[in-house]
Amino acid sequence: MSVGDIVTGTDLAILVYFLALNSFYALLLILSIPEIWEQTRLAEDDDFQRLMQSDALPPITILVPAYNESATIEASVTAILTLEYRNYEVVVVNDGSKDNTMEQLLHAFDLYEIPRIYPETIATKPLRAVYRSRTRSRLLVLDKENGGKADSLNAAINASRFPLVIAVDADTLIEPDALLRLTRPFLLGREIAAVGGTVRVANNCTVKDGRVTDARVPHRLLPGIQVVEYLRAFLFGRLGWNRLGGNLVISGAFGLFRKDYVMAIGGYRTTSIVEDLDLVVRLHRHLRRHKVRYEMPFIPDPVAWTEVPELTTILSRQRERWHRGLIAAMWEYKGMLFNPRYGRVGILAMPFYTFGEMLAPLIEVLGYAVTVLGLAFHMVNVPFALLFMLVAWGYGMLLSIWAVVLEEVSFRRYRRFGDLLLLLLYASLENLGYRQLTVWWRLKAFVSVWRRGQVWGAMVRKGFATPS
Amino acid sequence: VTSRQILLVVALVQGVLLGALIILIILNRWFRLRRNASVHPRRVTLDNAMRRWAAEGGPLGSVLVGFARLPASLAIDALVGWSARVPGERWRELAAELEHQWWARIVRTNSGSFRWWKRLECARFLSVAATPRDVARLVRLINDRHPAVHVAAVASLERMESAPLTLAALERMPRLASTVQAYYAGMLRRSRPVVIQHLQKRLGRTDDPALPRLVEFGVRLAEPALRERVTALAEHPDPEVRIQVSRGLGNFPHRESVAALTRLVADPAWEVRAQAARSLGMIADPTTLPLLRTALRDPIWWVRLRAGLALMRFGTAGRNALLEAEVGADGEARDTARMILGLPAQALAEFAA
Repeated sequence: MSVGDIVTGTDLAILVYFLALNSFYALLLILSIPEIWEQTRLAEDDDFQRLMQSDALPPITILVPAYNESATIEASVTAILTLEYRNYEVVVVNDGSKDNTMEQLLHAFDLYEIPRIYPETIATKPLRAVYRSRTRSRLLVLDKENGGKADSLNAAINASRFPLVIAVDADTLIEPDALLRLTRPFLLGREIAAVGGTVRVANNCTVKDGRVTDARVPHRLLPGIQVVEYLRAFLFGRLGWNRLGGNLVISGAFGLFRKDYVMAIGGYRTTSIVEDLDLVVRLHRHLRRHKVRYEMPFIPDPVAWTEVPELTTILSRQRERWHRGLIAAMWEYKGMLFNPRYGRVGILAMPFYTFGEMLAPLIEVLGYAVTVLGLAFHMVNVPFALLFMLVAWGYGMLLSIWAVVLEEVSFRRYRRFGDLLLLLLYASLENLGYRQLTVWWRLKAFVSVWRRGQVWGAMVRKGFATPS
Repeated sequence: VTSRQILLVVALVQGVLLGALIILIILNRWFRLRRNASVHPRRVTLDNAMRRWAAEGGPLGSVLVGFARLPASLAIDALVGWSARVPGERWRELAAELEHQWWARIVRTNSGSFRWWKRLECARFLSVAATPRDVARLVRLINDRHPAVHVAAVASLERMESAPLTLAALERMPRLASTVQAYYAGMLRRSRPVVIQHLQKRLGRTDDPALPRLVEFGVRLAEPALRERVTALAEHPDPEVRIQVSRGLGNFPHRESVAALTRLVADPAWEVRAQAARSLGMIADPTTLPLLRTALRDPIWWVRLRAGLALMRFGTAGRNALLEAEVGADGEARDTARMILGLPAQALAEFAA
């Protein structure tokens, strides 16, 4: 077999992969249209005052794991404690922070120690103390030895009293009516196992008293492109998956779960790298095996805001960790792949995440390598290669701009015309350099996946005091 | 046709689509701004007219004109918004006048639309502006297959007293998911006499599959007229019914309730025992103190917790029972008593709630 045959064969294989994957994206894009139509209608028609006065709202425990979050912990917990919801409690877990997170909590909320009054259903690292607040009756604070985010969430689940739990990152700002909106599927009588809301980028937004009062698109390129990335992931990716019945990702930063199901699978796995993906896949597996009727929808109007990395070093670490988590999860649950026992999750979602997401960086790099090889040996027609690249990048751009369209016709959080133009600009620039960088970071995940254990990953927080 | 030509066509199509999307985004923004600019002053005018009328200083006619000048969906939003701020009699006057408005007639005809969002619009309108002539329409909407529609329609019970409407909601309630049931229950509480009359009949049918949900709803009403029916179900073979009965009997301090709870606190199902212990605490009959001492040694943690918390409601006698258990021979009772006695008043109040 000559080099020419290898290059031609690989080219063809990559072309087929490109066509299959992009056709699937097109399907998600089409399916997101009726979904956002329905969700927007329901979101607009909600009579929240009546709901807030209703006893029907299911009580919720908000789980807030915190590790070295002293910059944002007070503002975040204060914001969570003032949500517009009738019946909820907040369990903050200080996961053996090395900074003064615990001292901040003790001082800000006037905490006092109480005896532990619940059984340890899921085993966790030892608790040092349990605190209640003199000023905020909804607040419970656990101080425990460091065990990672999953361990903290498990400790919070043990301490929770209510049937629904929502995991919220300490650096995440939840919109006041987000919990109300998040419980809408329950009020519509659906068999919900978990429900996810939208996570948006808070960088450059004006934050007052732990609330985003003015949504702005960042002027810096790196966080700006991430705004488009988040819009694309949430507004058409997950909405499209709603219609396909196999949402595999409920964001760990903002997802509501039925506690009995989470407990039935032993809570979060402390050895997993990306605990939210692992939890959702295990939930699917458990519920499908036990033939439980359930849904795991994503609904777009409940919003939580989070700070995204502004430095490439931090962003690369984050993306590498996410991809390591994806690889580990797909490997761990490979038995579900193409397995009809797991319904659409096994037949559609798992193959998509394995071949379309996990292997994508490998295939993209292979494509670049083969093209360079072909050019070097004069086996690739240069205008054709350039045209192909143009089409590939143009398609990526189309998907990103489609996400901006969905945002514009539905929720329109960015009111200024300048912000809209910035979004369009970032959507156009994303494929020129940024995408290739993320491919490289994700590629590195393959190398490190067998070597590294579970870590929180350092994230430099600026806090939300003022817009940047 | 070569592959290069195909790619060229694809690239061209993509370019056109990209351009179209960008134009769509900009046009959409422009259209919305224009629409807001034209609708907002009309909404302000309506709110002013409404404010004057609500304070009995303005004519109803200007309010009706204000509603008619808004798009139907916005008029319904305004109507729902104002419904909580205008007293009942005056609101009924407005609802009666709206019956003759052209836009309201169109909204009403949407109750039979095949598009769910149109039916939802109608249900939201009727939830605040229904008249006795809308009962049949509302019954149909309460039985609608789309959850958002029937949830909106059942809210009409807040303002309408109608036996057919109440019975339609009561019939549908046990078949719904628990959260929706709770919402229905909240609405049905307002039609108490009809509900209680109906429940007295339904609670007598011991083979009714909806019985657990009806008992749950019935006991939450804490209606003395239902006590006998509820107590009679304490021996029901379905543990879910017994859970609801044992939970509810705490609301009926009566010797027959105590007798039933005495049996239920020894039930084979731990959930029944836990609820019975809680209810015994609510009644706090001194003769039941030994039962709770026994429950403090139950193999299930939740039963022990409920028994300990119930003992705290017996005053000094209960506290002494816990102090005895704290130094007693049974390890689990000892741990539970120690934990309960260490709870601050706030935590006890929260558990009691």
